[in-house]
Amino acid sequence: MNPARGTSHRVCQAGELPPGKRKIVAIHDREIGVFNLGGRYYALRNRCPHRGAPLCEGKLIDLVTAERPYAPANEREGEILRCPWHGWEFDITTGRSVCLPDKVRAKSYPAGVEKAPETATVEHYDVTEDDGWVVVWLSAGEGAPR
Amino acid sequence: MPAYRSCRRDGMRHMGKVMKMADPALVDPLANPAGVKTRVVDTDVHHQIRDQAELYPFLSRNDRQRLKEYGLPKNGNIYHGSGGFRGARADCFDLGEEVDPRTRIELFQKKLLDGCGIDRAILQGEYTPAVAALVDLDYCAALCRALNDWSLAHWIDRDPRFRLALTVPMQDPVLAAKEIHRLGDHPAVVAVYAVCGSPRLYGQRYYDPIYAACVEHGLAFALHFSNEGSGVNPAPTAAGHPSYYAETYLIRPQFYQAHLSSFIFEGTFEKFPKLKVAFLESGFGWVPSFRWRADAAWKALRAQTPWVKRLPSEYIAEHIRFSTQPFEDTDPPGALVHLLEEMDGGRTLMFASDFPHWDFDPPDAIARRLPAALRKGVLEDNAFGTYPKLT
Repeated sequence: MNPARGTSHRVCQAGELPPGKRKIVAIHDREIGVFNLGGRYYALRNRCPHRGAPLCEGKLIDLVTAERPYAPANEREGEILRCPWHGWEFDITTGRSVCLPDKVRAKSYPAGVEKAPETATVEHYDVTEDDGWVVVWLSAGEGAPR
Repeated sequence: MPAYRSCRRDGMRHMGKVMKMADPALVDPLANPAGVKTRVVDTDVHHQIRDQAELYPFLSRNDRQRLKEYGLPKNGNIYHGSGGFRGARADCFDLGEEVDPRTRIELFQKKLLDGCGIDRAILQGEYTPAVAALVDLDYCAALCRALNDWSLAHWIDRDPRFRLALTVPMQDPVLAAKEIHRLGDHPAVVAVYAVCGSPRLYGQRYYDPIYAACVEHGLAFALHFSNEGSGVNPAPTAAGHPSYYAETYLIRPQFYQAHLSSFIFEGTFEKFPKLKVAFLESGFGWVPSFRWRADAAWKALRAQTPWVKRLPSEYIAEHIRFSTQPFEDTDPPGALVHLLEEMDGGRTLMFASDFPHWDFDPPDAIARRLPAALRKGVLEDNAFGTYPKLT
């Protein structure tokens, strides 16, 4: 348990989640989608705050903006998750929605790679020194068995 | 009794006893709690020309000969029907059935301005739909110029309470802008009048020269139904032509919804952040539902029109004002309060009478329907905030 980040939960080996890919895992009573964006890891709960859709199954798209009418421009390639149902867009890096960033957010969790196995109780895999585990940190109380 | 109460006398005489017994604050719904009368702006009043010869001084020899030979175009009323008597209040034909009350300035002064306590009445020509539908653009523009000049000479100059919404050839935005530049700085000109029936939706950039001119001269863009399904315009509904006037009366909100969607998603208010649009004779019961739907559409589809940077409801709140007429007879009556709350009616509604049309709403009756705290905004302030040049 890291008091700053909470309890780490292993998702997969780092090699199994290359840049641009995602993995949806169940941690206790909830599903969490873990995304690798260019070597950085982000995790969002697999539930859209709008209608409860499996948010993390949506398409990864760019952030489309326009300085003026009729001049669309693409930014932040592949960093926006578009909900598979009603199309609400979420910033993967923060969980904030694009339409109402201060009011509508998907639950996000810190994620990253832990180099060394934390406990000896997990099933053993061949893990090299450079590989490690993709983990999601849940704070105390989050995702605890009920 | 204030003098302007006479507008209700015809219909309310039998209620005299009830009025005397009422709470003093309710006796004069056009006054504030201190008893000071609110200025009343009527944003939708329809005047007409009786004798086409009055236009001749304002036309070139060529256009004058054409008008003499063929006459003024008639409104393309595909229903061959309306309400009241020939679309007007039947009590306004005291000079006989053949005298169109829309042509009688003294009737407007007596029954509307004096009779109802109207301080400013914005004239939106009865002639506009027919003239604006002409497909000969240069003749259309010539008649628009002549009718604007005629309105200034024969109505505006004869009563300081009148203001004018300009008639322009909407089908040719360059010509329309030219007319706006010609008269836009006249102190009594406060808006540009367009009808909902149109080959294209008004948010499309084709129309940008008109909005640029409106903003430059401080004019509101005033949109009013008419011409749907006539001339070169598409059917009044995308699902087809209704058969009866009652149907088209009922479905009018969709005309405004189509143009409002267009304004929002084309980014008109991003391009023209000072533009104000008046929706006249739009009614308003549909507005809360439209706001919710528009916001839902934007949240889902934002990336397809990324220049729409705010919630549609925010653009509506800032740029669009809706006329009270035809006032919603909510059932139950108390539902009106929720409706006004949902659309922030105290800020977004403007009074309109539609005089002398058959579905006229008098200001005192409308004020009585409104919560007292909203009356001044609806009768006075919101109009002054929407028409930048209105004084």
